[in-house]
Amino acid sequence: MNLPTKALFGALFLCTATLAQAQLAWEKTELELNPAIGADSAVATFKYENKGTKPVNIKAVRTSCGCTTAALKKNDVAPGEKGEIEATLKIGDRTGLQQKTVTVETDDPEHPQTILTLKANIAQILELQPALVFWQANEEPKPKTILAKAGKGVTIKNLEVTSSTPEFTAKVEPGSNAGEFRILVQPRETSHQAAANLTIKPDSSAGTKVFTASARVMPPATAAQ
Amino acid sequence: MRALLRQSGLLLALALLPAVGQALYLRDKVSWQSPIPASEMVAIADARGWGTNAIWIDARPEAEFAQKHVPGAILLNEDRWNELLPQMLAAWSPEKRVVVYCGSESCGSSREVARRLRKEAQIKDVFVLEGGWEAWLAGEKK
Repeated sequence: MNLPTKALFGALFLCTATLAQAQLAWEKTELELNPAIGADSAVATFKYENKGTKPVNIKAVRTSCGCTTAALKKNDVAPGEKGEIEATLKIGDRTGLQQKTVTVETDDPEHPQTILTLKANIAQILELQPALVFWQANEEPKPKTILAKAGKGVTIKNLEVTSSTPEFTAKVEPGSNAGEFRILVQPRETSHQAAANLTIKPDSSAGTKVFTASARVMPPATAAQ
Repeated sequence: MRALLRQSGLLLALALLPAVGQALYLRDKVSWQSPIPASEMVAIADARGWGTNAIWIDARPEAEFAQKHVPGAILLNEDRWNELLPQMLAAWSPEKRVVVYCGSESCGSSREVARRLRKEAQIKDVFVLEGGWEAWLAGEKK
């Protein structure tokens, strides 16, 4: 056997030896979830098994953000024992694809750290474009439009919009496509600074979530922009 | 000559093995997310230099904000986005720059908040603070 062949076999032996020592085996290190529209949380269960001959101690479990918690029932995993880590993402007002990680640290010298990934596709109930309309001081007080679009798979029959102040009015009109609405916002005047919160309540199959938008007349000092 | 080339090729292939193995085996540990463009990040010194022309947004959870935050910062996170957004928009004006931070360089919530402010509120000058809250604290200790 010549030198390169020996080196190749040596490398293969090392790789095989490393794999043979692996202990905590994860069923999946990445899970993708599609929580129901309006759900409060998304829960991913990462299952493991100690396939080695020695016990493994899970020293720490850390999440990538305060919005995710990870629950571990026990830290010591005996050879052949199975277990799981339950990662819970608090959905709150999050939308779109969320990717959070859970870092698991063990005393296994071969795999001291494993990163588990939780992906959640969070459906948007209502999209507002834009969430802020504003007028410069002394600008003509013409109505400005906020386009409200129902999210994918969401049916919205109607929108109820209320302004926090009579300084602004808000009127809802049907949009050009199904599930679309035009919110026409108009200030009474623009000669002085004013602000309103617009509370938007969709009559929807997806729960009673309330949305907000803002309307403002800027103070004269910022009108030079 | 041929033997030399063959051996060189073999050695190169062997040298590549660990890299290929690492890319496959440690793929979850490598950040595959595209980095934020430099134009959307701001260093602490620069952000401080903006003075009252900057609005500081704290994208951390409310409990962490309550403990301590950048003086004058406004809480805005995705836990209660709909509820918190109006107070941020009430403080904003077109000439102001918005600086968003979360716990550290690796947290993603400041990026998400910055993205939503650009997309949903259509605010242009939104920046993510390099190093986040950890960097702010480190700066305070100096």
